[in-house]
Amino acid sequence: MNKPISQPRPTVMSRARGPFGLKQPTEKPKDGKGTIKRVWRYMEKQKVALIAAVCFAIISTLLGLLGPYMIGVIIDDYIIPKDTAGTLKVLIILASVYLAIAVVTWLQTFMMVRVSLRTIRRLRQDLFDKLQTLSLRFFDKRTHGDLMSRVTNDIDSLNNALSQSVVQIFTTVLMVTGVAIVMFSLNWILALVTMVVIPLMYFITRKLIKYSSNYFIKRQRDLGELNGLIEETISGNEIITLFGKEQKMNQQFSKINERLRHSSMSADTISGFLGPINNFINNFGLAVVIAVGAVLTIQGHASVGIIASFVTYSRQFFRPINQISNLLNMFQSAIAGAERVFEIMDETPELVDKKDAIAVESFKGDIEFSEVYFGYEEDKHVLKDINFQVKSGERIALVGPTGSGKTTIINLLMRFYDVTAGEIKIDGCDIRDYQLSELRRKIGVVLQDTFLFSGTIMENIRYGRLEATDEEVVASAKLASAHQYIKHLPEGYHTLLVSGGYNLSQGQRQLLAIARAILANSDILILDEATSSIDTSTELEIQNGINRLTEGRTSFVIAHRLKTIENADRILVIYQGEIIETGTHQELLKRKGFYYDMYESQFKHYNI
Amino acid sequence: MRAMKILLKNMKPYAIFAILGPLFMCIEVSMDLLQPTIMQKIIDTGIANSDNAYIIKLGIIMLLSAVIGLVGGVGSSVFAAKAAANFAADIRSEVFNKTVQFSNRNSDSFGAGKLITILTNDIATIQQATIMTLRVFVRGPLLFVGSIVIVWFTARELFPILLVAIPILIACIYFFSIKSGKLFLNVQKAMDKVNTKLQEMLAGIRVIKAFDHKGYEHQQFKSVNELLMKRNMTAEQLVFTLMPIMMFIVNIAIIAGLWMGGLKVSEGTLQVGVILAFINYLNIMMMGLMSSSNVLMIIARAFSSAGRIVEVHDAQIDIAESKETYASEDIRGEVEFKDVSFSYSQNGEYVLKDISFKAEAGQTIGIIGSTGSGKSTLVKLIPRLYDPDSGEILIDGVNIKNIPLERLRQAIGFVSQKATLFSGTIEYNLGFGKENLTIADMSQAAQTAAASEFIDKLEDKYEHQLMQGTTNLSGGQKQRLSMARAFIREPHILILDDSTSAIDALSETVVQQALKEDYANTTVFIISSKVSSIIDADKILVMEDGRIEACGTHEELLTTSRVYRNIYASQRGGGLMYE
Repeated sequence: MNKPISQPRPTVMSRARGPFGLKQPTEKPKDGKGTIKRVWRYMEKQKVALIAAVCFAIISTLLGLLGPYMIGVIIDDYIIPKDTAGTLKVLIILASVYLAIAVVTWLQTFMMVRVSLRTIRRLRQDLFDKLQTLSLRFFDKRTHGDLMSRVTNDIDSLNNALSQSVVQIFTTVLMVTGVAIVMFSLNWILALVTMVVIPLMYFITRKLIKYSSNYFIKRQRDLGELNGLIEETISGNEIITLFGKEQKMNQQFSKINERLRHSSMSADTISGFLGPINNFINNFGLAVVIAVGAVLTIQGHASVGIIASFVTYSRQFFRPINQISNLLNMFQSAIAGAERVFEIMDETPELVDKKDAIAVESFKGDIEFSEVYFGYEEDKHVLKDINFQVKSGERIALVGPTGSGKTTIINLLMRFYDVTAGEIKIDGCDIRDYQLSELRRKIGVVLQDTFLFSGTIMENIRYGRLEATDEEVVASAKLASAHQYIKHLPEGYHTLLVSGGYNLSQGQRQLLAIARAILANSDILILDEATSSIDTSTELEIQNGINRLTEGRTSFVIAHRLKTIENADRILVIYQGEIIETGTHQELLKRKGFYYDMYESQFKHYNI
Repeated sequence: MRAMKILLKNMKPYAIFAILGPLFMCIEVSMDLLQPTIMQKIIDTGIANSDNAYIIKLGIIMLLSAVIGLVGGVGSSVFAAKAAANFAADIRSEVFNKTVQFSNRNSDSFGAGKLITILTNDIATIQQATIMTLRVFVRGPLLFVGSIVIVWFTARELFPILLVAIPILIACIYFFSIKSGKLFLNVQKAMDKVNTKLQEMLAGIRVIKAFDHKGYEHQQFKSVNELLMKRNMTAEQLVFTLMPIMMFIVNIAIIAGLWMGGLKVSEGTLQVGVILAFINYLNIMMMGLMSSSNVLMIIARAFSSAGRIVEVHDAQIDIAESKETYASEDIRGEVEFKDVSFSYSQNGEYVLKDISFKAEAGQTIGIIGSTGSGKSTLVKLIPRLYDPDSGEILIDGVNIKNIPLERLRQAIGFVSQKATLFSGTIEYNLGFGKENLTIADMSQAAQTAAASEFIDKLEDKYEHQLMQGTTNLSGGQKQRLSMARAFIREPHILILDDSTSAIDALSETVVQQALKEDYANTTVFIISSKVSSIIDADKILVMEDGRIEACGTHEELLTTSRVYRNIYASQRGGGLMYE
């Protein structure tokens, strides 16, 4: 008969609430109504299950009201009159009521868990997909930690709220009203007596929460300060050691730790009062109900059975009221979390396909940059007035000092960002007219920061072209000179990489990234410092592979070692965001300009 | 278990609170247990005899016992909070003291993230678990056992029902906890998969976009997401089955009580009040059982937290003060490496291999080489942030292990790659370098580090507050402050580990000029990836793959070292800016 009210779930996720989960100042959503509506739209798909859950909740609540009433009846009408046959009959009915309660309660939670988890699954997937549509500019602005916590913590707290508090808030209200009605219909005097306790309880709890919140804020502040110091000390441990400041740090820590000792003591003490006080009010109410009930019974206005019913009802009545504020808090913070999730959903992808975007079969590979300007931030141009044309099949090298804008040119060609002014054309069409996905699929790229995924080496190379066979994967690994070392790994191509591929050396990772790009077999190939961490002899080997690969394809190479780009059809020298020289290796040498200086300094000591 | 034992030593000073807390809880529980018995008396004696006075008397007793219970509960809360807060604060302070003394190798073995978690979350968990143990974990079992005892004495006729119901209830809880523990472990594993996928998506977003594998990633995420949902579904649905089943068992026990009681009442051997009391005690029992099983889970978590805390407690600090220390008057600054090899992990790859070189006092040593070639590691050995695996390092001819640590580090000004500053004023940060510093000290050092130009522009000058993580300064400003902090020590050995990367060319020239003039007698190590920063060094070490590939002046290296030539050539473009 006691409905399971808020029963802490032993899930690992609910731990994310923080160490002092109980009464932290709750975060309030900005637009609660709007957010609830949107969450509802996600749940709508499972309307049937949801309606079923609500129906079950109503049934179990109503049956829950029936139990205590029947106990009263059994005592008054059958046990006290000593009617054993009648007792048995009614007890069988009661037993079936209890069985029904158990089944219906189970069905209701079963349904609700289902609805909530499915909703959550969709929400999580949508968020993941949405994140992928957003442009790099979005990711430049945000930390991974922040985005991660929206997909995990915020969505989890929504899950908790949906699977528990929503139905519980609903049944609590239903239960309280139901109990009130039944109590009044049984005995209005006793009902009034019971009700008197409510304002008392409400008043005391309110006072206590208000009083305690000061202590909580204080503890939270001390805790925050202490955690800040801990973080600083641990991440700056080297400096503290070097400058011998261990004692000083200890002193600072002790000062805050003492403050926290006292503030957390007060906060925990006060919050610990809530339990005993609620218990007291329950007992107090019970005492009054029983005493008054007994007196009324003597006067003939009540009966032992009614007292029995009231004892149970008063418990059913007080407990939900105690807990409703907790439930509401939980619900509120879940909605605030959902709001943060929807905030991402509402981001508009900066780069989208035009309505009549062109789908391309393949690129010939004519590329043209005309009057291209670009800056990652407004007013801060990283590229200025970039103009050049590339004919299909040409091999282009970009050289220049670090930070001159070489990688940015590649970023624009891949349409990771859109130009601020000017236009970039491939095969005579502005790249913004192509379908974004088609455009990128036709351009193979080895990026400066080689990122590999967790999984086997085989899977990582295959990332270049998902439908490639094992043989094709091995072939491209050979072309990239990666086969040599993969062969010697204990698990060969089935060696598991950790996320990021950090169990391989930087050079080995670059070789895999090259193999991956080779496998992609694209129309345009870009190698951005692809061989920077590879030793010179391996680099020469790869060079052969790459030369074969780029035969007849437009390709871009960025490299610091000028040797690797000597045989390019054209070299663009970039300096501070501008192209200052272009031409073949020989032409540029003849010109005796910037490139000549660079080359001279690099090679004058070799006897070539 | 051992972990808890070690931690519990910290409870000793507060043992009195830890005992008083449960004792007061006992008062609350016994008052709670008294209520149904008094009620039974009111019904069976008061109503049966129509004795108004008796009823009112017992009613008042009931109220009184509620008040006493309140006192017990409040008292228990006060003492439990006292014990837990003190206990946790002491542990926190002990663990912090230890971590501050950690050597770099110690810190590396834990990782900063884990240490922070231990000091914050784990200790907070212990505190919470202590409160819960002292209160709820006392209350639950007491209510449970107390009810059984009282039923035995006051309603023995109905006791057989408990003999059946209680074992079933306990078996249920046991079965469900074991099972759900396993299931939630699976959930956690699925959760980890989802997190990994997510993290990879964020870290590899460029690659995903470049290959346009949105659809593939969608599928990948879908499968882990689906797995998570399924496992969650199994686990949660199981957990939510427990409650209805337990309720049902208790309700059936109530029905049994009504039936047996009814029969006995009709025989005249039992009074109605006893049945009511029995029903009440059943409910109390159930509550006790549920609450203790919940607390059990918090306690289980506290155990793993305790294990992590004790790891810190157990860690041996590996850079130790030598017994035979040498205490010379002054360190001149001659540094010599003799066949030094070093690896970060005991049997891992050597990061430094057979390093030997000598820096005369007052020389400037440049160190250059590609990332991962061991440059930073080399200089970290000088202030003994790490000890070499083999070989030795001498300062003024004395092995640094024989120089008192404080003395050694006092003589060294170290500017690390990442400019780490602390929240507080600029003065506070510069004070790391030297105790009792004067304004003159500060402006002198700031001048040398080319930092005065921006400090002077700040409204509060040296009183300017830095935020945590120094988010309110630019990278270049941070580097200049961190240099000033090292300069202010007037060190005999100055180490600049790639510390000018975010500083503009002009400021760098200022710093270099000042170094030459003011630190003529100081041995200076400059690590840089820019040739321009070390071009004037007395000696340049070219590092490759943990070895010194070549050593000499700029001019010498251009002819002797291929690696150096390559580096120089690739930077000539950039170098033009400085020439």
